[in-house]
Amino acid sequence: MDELKGLVFRLCAAPGTQGDESAAAKTAVKELSKYAKAHIDRMGNVIAKMGKPGAEKHILLDAHLDQIGMIVTNIDKHGFIRVDRSGGIDRRVLPGSPVTIYGKEILTGIVCCTPPHLSDGSEDKVVSVDKMAIDAGLSKAEAEKLIRPGDRILFRTAPKSLLGTRITAAGLDDRAGVASLIRCAQMLAGCELNCEVTILFSGREEVGGQGAVTGAYSVNPTHAVIVDVSFAEQPHVPPEKCGKLGGGPMIGIAPPLNRVMIDRMIETAKKNRIPYKLDVMGGSTGTNSDEIAMTRKGVQAELISIPLRYMHTPVEVIDLTDVEHTARLIAEYIKGVE
Amino acid sequence: MADLKLLERLCTARGISGNEDEVRDLILEEIKPYATSVEITPLGSMIVFKKGAKRPKTKLMLNAHMDEVGMIVTHVTDEGLLKFATVGGIDRRVLCGRPVTVGRDVGGVIGAKPIHLLEEEEKEKSVPVKELYIDIGAKDREEAEQYVTPGDAVTFDSIFDTSHGMVKSRALDDRAGCAMLIDMIQSDLKYDLCFVFAVQEETGLNGSRTAAFAVEPQAAIVLESTTAADVAGVDRENQVCNVGGGAVISFMDRHTIYDKGYYQLAFKAAKKAGVSCQAKRAVAGGNDAGAIHVSRGGVRTVAVSLPCRYLHSAVSLISQEDFTSAQKLVYELADMIAGEEQDD
Repeated sequence: MDELKGLVFRLCAAPGTQGDESAAAKTAVKELSKYAKAHIDRMGNVIAKMGKPGAEKHILLDAHLDQIGMIVTNIDKHGFIRVDRSGGIDRRVLPGSPVTIYGKEILTGIVCCTPPHLSDGSEDKVVSVDKMAIDAGLSKAEAEKLIRPGDRILFRTAPKSLLGTRITAAGLDDRAGVASLIRCAQMLAGCELNCEVTILFSGREEVGGQGAVTGAYSVNPTHAVIVDVSFAEQPHVPPEKCGKLGGGPMIGIAPPLNRVMIDRMIETAKKNRIPYKLDVMGGSTGTNSDEIAMTRKGVQAELISIPLRYMHTPVEVIDLTDVEHTARLIAEYIKGVE
Repeated sequence: MADLKLLERLCTARGISGNEDEVRDLILEEIKPYATSVEITPLGSMIVFKKGAKRPKTKLMLNAHMDEVGMIVTHVTDEGLLKFATVGGIDRRVLCGRPVTVGRDVGGVIGAKPIHLLEEEEKEKSVPVKELYIDIGAKDREEAEQYVTPGDAVTFDSIFDTSHGMVKSRALDDRAGCAMLIDMIQSDLKYDLCFVFAVQEETGLNGSRTAAFAVEPQAAIVLESTTAADVAGVDRENQVCNVGGGAVISFMDRHTIYDKGYYQLAFKAAKKAGVSCQAKRAVAGGNDAGAIHVSRGGVRTVAVSLPCRYLHSAVSLISQEDFTSAQKLVYELADMIAGEEQDD
């Protein structure tokens, strides 16, 4: 598990907000290149080929590369940095949060938080993003020298081990998925496969999935398996919407997902004694699988999710065994393709 | 110039109120070779006496507190999650989403319900403390109890950044004050002085109350950090004090009406030292002066604070220049008080 933990930590340490995924992409290429030839396409997606070129079945494996963050809109007259959200960041966790500003140099910022005695009893009201500001401790002149509109901001939390095989980091959504596909590539390396496999680490998922749309178009697969994260059981969250940390991958069942693939995935899990939970949704999935299934004349798609707690906060939590089991499930699925 | 390496060691040491041992051991190691005598009080505060070149006309005590705000584990749930109480006036809005350390070295996080599953009204309100818990990655109560127990201290994970003339760190309140006292103890003094590193400031000024009784001073200087509200969205008249404006001198807060003569003397000391200083432009907050100025028959007390943004949260901010000018001011002011210079 230590090797896998190292991989997840290295992936999480590389910044990658929507449209600015290059650092994360380079890290992913470096890790993936150990097992397959990988490159970065013109949208910033990472693409790698494995298996049997030109086979009848061509399976796309997708995980998104981007993570939620913020984007600098301007610098106000006191040197405070005004921002907007890049992806669905949880505003409730922002006041007083330490952040990293990727300007001309890497700067530590703090999300401004009005002292409680000045809030007239409204201190528990969450501030709208247009009223938020980041304090880098810089004057206006200094700030303008180092930071420009469009620069990206991320939560500043170092990846950290919790008890057992659990870890916390910002951006595990969806670096955990990326890690599982790199581990899957490792398992498939050197195997004789009956299908062509393309691994896609796509950008911009959190703002609409443009990376997956264009990536899937270019790859032109017959089938796709999408790996994202989903909710893990935690207090105050309905258990029917959740997987369980350490309970294995969640096998998605939803109208846009292909029933034959779903059944084969369940069969594969059972045959290989991989723990799993069914993750049933009544409509679209809110993941890249919605877009990928509608690529060109249509792609048969299945969604596998890694259970994760505290989604879209600086302290997302996963269990590494779920990443490992996800990798194994998909590797066994692909090995079984006739 | 601030000794940033020392400040980093102080700020990364962990010591919520009632658990200050780690901070005290670190300070003791720094000051031992320079102190004339060191005494630990029954509550855990440290009283350091240092002889100067001359005997003081007024017996002066300088005070900073060692403890910081944080949390304490109250209960382990069946799921292996930790319920907690806040220790000191922590800003409850900043708890959610923070990485923390429990006990000696158990990593944890304060999580939140995912934004995707929130009702509209929940999105607009900070998460109530009673709904929060710490997740250390335990599978159940049994696993959690191998590593933690109710009563374990919890602190935010440390950040320490000194770029561009600022310090951004946990626990600057009041380790910055401790750093100033250490620096004085390590220097040659004009007059004999007493230094108190107090415990339990954040939970009721208990350390300084009892230490002041033991020291029995005639005068006191309290070194603190105070809220600077000069942040985005706050009008100038509500800003209390400004980062970069120099040390902050209080005339009145929630616990103390300060000695008027010493209040004015502090400004004179700043002038003499050639540094800027500012009045605390609000009657808010409070510090160890509240206990010290009413010790025994009364103690003439002055508070010199660093303007500090985001006090009582995971990461606060001070200016290095403010630190240096406060330090110079305090040296000057201590000599003036101990030597009984009058404000004229």
